[in-house]
Amino acid sequence: MSEEMVKFKIDGKEVEVAKGTTILEAARAEGIRIPTFCYHERLTPIGSCRLCMVEVEGYEQPVPACMTPADNEIEVTTQSDLLYEMRRDALKLILLNHPLDCPICDKAGECTLQDLVYEFQIEQVEFQEKLPDKGIPEYATPFIKQWTDRCVMCLRCITACREITGNQAIDIVGKGWDAKVTVVNPELCKSCGECLSVCPTGALTDKLMSVKGRKWFIDRVRTTCVYCGCGCQLDLNVFQDKVIKVTTEHGVGPNKGSLCIKGRYGFEFIHSEDRLTTPLIKKDGEFKEASWDEALDLIAEKLKYIKENNGADAIFGLTSARATNEENYTFQKFFRSVLGTNNVDHCARL
Amino acid sequence: MAKVLFSSWTDEIIDNRGKEATDVEGINLPEEFDGKPVKAFMGWNGFVITDSEVDVVELCKSYMEESQKHSCGKCFLCRIGTKVLADILGKIYNGEGTEKDLDIIKKLSVSIKEGSRCNLGQTVTKPILDALENFKEDFDNAVKGIVKKTSLEYKSHLTAPCTDACPIHLPIPEYVEAIREGRFQDSLDLIRSRLPLPGIVGRVCVKPCEENCRRMLLDGPISIKHLKRFVADFELQKKGVAEFQPFEEKKDKKVAIIGGGPAGLTAAYHLALKGYKVKIFERLGETGGMAAVGIPDYRLPRDIIKVETEAIQSLGVEIQYNTYVGKDIMFTDLEKEYDAIIIAIGAHTSSSMRVEGEDKGYKGFIPGVKYLLDINNGEDPYPEGERVVVVGGGNVAMDCVRCSLRLGKKEVNLVYRRTRNEMPANIEEIEEAEEEGVNFLYLTNPTKIIAKDGKVVGLELIKMELGEPDESGRRRPIPIKGSEYVLDCDIVVPAIGQAIDLKVLEGIEDIEVTRKGTIVVDVNTYMATRKGVFSAGDVVTSPDALIRACAGGRRTAMKIDQYLRGEKPERSLEEKFEDFLSEVKVFDASEDISMVGGRERVPLKHMPPEERKTSFVEYTEGYSIVEARTEADRCLKCYRVAMLAL
Repeated sequence: MSEEMVKFKIDGKEVEVAKGTTILEAARAEGIRIPTFCYHERLTPIGSCRLCMVEVEGYEQPVPACMTPADNEIEVTTQSDLLYEMRRDALKLILLNHPLDCPICDKAGECTLQDLVYEFQIEQVEFQEKLPDKGIPEYATPFIKQWTDRCVMCLRCITACREITGNQAIDIVGKGWDAKVTVVNPELCKSCGECLSVCPTGALTDKLMSVKGRKWFIDRVRTTCVYCGCGCQLDLNVFQDKVIKVTTEHGVGPNKGSLCIKGRYGFEFIHSEDRLTTPLIKKDGEFKEASWDEALDLIAEKLKYIKENNGADAIFGLTSARATNEENYTFQKFFRSVLGTNNVDHCARL
Repeated sequence: MAKVLFSSWTDEIIDNRGKEATDVEGINLPEEFDGKPVKAFMGWNGFVITDSEVDVVELCKSYMEESQKHSCGKCFLCRIGTKVLADILGKIYNGEGTEKDLDIIKKLSVSIKEGSRCNLGQTVTKPILDALENFKEDFDNAVKGIVKKTSLEYKSHLTAPCTDACPIHLPIPEYVEAIREGRFQDSLDLIRSRLPLPGIVGRVCVKPCEENCRRMLLDGPISIKHLKRFVADFELQKKGVAEFQPFEEKKDKKVAIIGGGPAGLTAAYHLALKGYKVKIFERLGETGGMAAVGIPDYRLPRDIIKVETEAIQSLGVEIQYNTYVGKDIMFTDLEKEYDAIIIAIGAHTSSSMRVEGEDKGYKGFIPGVKYLLDINNGEDPYPEGERVVVVGGGNVAMDCVRCSLRLGKKEVNLVYRRTRNEMPANIEEIEEAEEEGVNFLYLTNPTKIIAKDGKVVGLELIKMELGEPDESGRRRPIPIKGSEYVLDCDIVVPAIGQAIDLKVLEGIEDIEVTRKGTIVVDVNTYMATRKGVFSAGDVVTSPDALIRACAGGRRTAMKIDQYLRGEKPERSLEEKFEDFLSEVKVFDASEDISMVGGRERVPLKHMPPEERKTSFVEYTEGYSIVEARTEADRCLKCYRVAMLAL
């Protein structure tokens, strides 16, 4: 059965999309930009920001492009004076709820709100509202800091927790102006950081990277996670030759933007002071630094001795998931062909 | 109805300021609320003022403050916008506002109205804009510092057309939204805050909500019923039978409930949640009342009733089966042991057709309720009979004909005295019965049962025509003289209505009963004319929808709680608002919904008629997760804030 199609117009351009496609998806496919804030490709449309409102010919009220599936023969306008003013008003209301502490915010430079305020040239907000002091509560995970005063309640975090992780660690509590994103089930939090990764402002920040480097000084180096065999793609955020944060790009690799606690936060070993930098040999009950030549000679000597006196099966080799495929291959080949034993295994199997 | 001094509620502005207040067509505003006169009403369509004491600036300010309390916080415009409006209006009200503030509230009101995510934000600024336009002087005076402060009280309530129409007032937009978001357990919890029978109601409800759904005016109402069934089924599949905990501490007071039907079960659930000891006395061997023995299994499998009863039992509710109060136990015995009693026995006998031969005891003459009871117990009430005539046009009549087909009866007829358009049965039921092959005889009425050797052999029928409308608004059927004819048949099943068997009251004199045989209860206390005796369900309302029985059961439980605490039972403020708004009417069928549509309802999968008409197995398949979320996404979230100045 062929898919049912819908034909309609966006900004005068005739388009045809599968039934059920939203106006926003159709517009993006055509390269037409509709400003969005709460919308995220990986989440069910939330509809909290009202920036993607568009006009439809013949209908009184503008509709949110993210939540409205296109219908046959409608004519959509994405830019108009009314829409511009509405979007500005919506942004002003968001700003009321958000401190302008961009200079000390970790998100500065990659903040969607900052970009939108810049785009819509909002220099001042004519109405004011006293912000309640919401404090900085303890978040569901020690890896993330929640800045409640910066939170504008786009609800991406709650939606990501629910839809990507399948949990409900955080939710809205309260009504109206008093409503806020609150940790409701901390025990359900897996510290996956999905909430952090979708937060468009600095309301959730990474505690490990706090005030270590601005976005524009950072290089992002793509690599594959070394923890398990999934092959998740990571972007190491490097500042002055140090990894300060791990991010991942949506839609890339098998993880498509998701990471687990280890992939996202387990990078501090890279620059750990405790990390071994040379081989150690135990002499008189104490580990002493040695050169690679010394160490390898000692190992070869001992392995040879054991093999000759006790047989090759007295030797067991355990390799690591952190090593590459090629390294692991070489390791087992060495055990089987050179040492002559099948006693070889891998930490990920334990 | 209240007389109007000013109104922007209807399309036309009514302005009687400085003149006599008048009645206005289309404004159904009761004069009183909670014993006090209603001085103004503000809501989704505008506002109505009935008393010159009202100050419009104060009214607007209060309405925004109340709206803030109801805003769900899920979109910026409503959450922050209404707060800003409330604060600016408060400033103006205190004489501290400026001309510029008036421009700001006007512009912001438009943005909130055009851009909010749900109908709450979209409608709450409408009366503000009306006020700015029609009471400009009052606002101008206020910004000049001339303010009037009243001592009126403001009370508000959140509703929606569907919620208003639902007898038990389920928070429908909220639980539908939860389904859209994939929060199925939250959705079920919201339903269960009022109704313990989502699986049953989600299958057989007459769904007044869907008839009051604004989406109906666009491309079809939301399938609220199927969504309710979805969350109930989802829980059952994933977790099995639900278990509940009382949320109040256990109490010593005991309540007896006579009848374990929808009203009795709902009342038991709410009382047990509040910690009372509850025991249900059920005449039959199973709970569910008419839902169990009157509704065939292909529409409502017994397992569902069993599961929902077990969940209620998890609260400690006891059920004593096969106990006929009035025969096996006397009512007065229960009174000695229990602190309060609810009579919820339903209407379990068939009404008489008043035709010749009805009372002769002919073999093959089987009243509808008895016919369905036998079939639901797995028996064919008269296996030799092959040609069936069912008389009536309601859902019970549809159940009788469709069950007859499933028993394998060769010829199944339905006789109804009006036409298809006037039939009270659900349209789906009628269509499905047609698909299954029932022969419908419209504009026909029985006059005589023909019998031979004590067995039914035919039914004499007369043709009818429609005359002038009667009290029900439907055109009255009039027999056409001399048009009688005989339809050969073996079984005649009258299903024209149900009556109440009041044997329960044997020996009790002081419980007032109406001429129709229903028990009289006080509209505020739900108490019958005997202290400590309450009543709910069909036995009070006469045969009515299942959900209405549940609603009665719930309210009765609330009243009993007050009674047993030693308080005077009274309708709560919430209940008063629910009743008040039912008069105002939240749904407007003439509204022109200017929106992009083209999203038809997600249909439920049905077994084909050929297959289903031979089986009592449930013939519909509930929604899948994707279907349910797609359907829930169609909801327009028509929240409305109603506020009264008293």
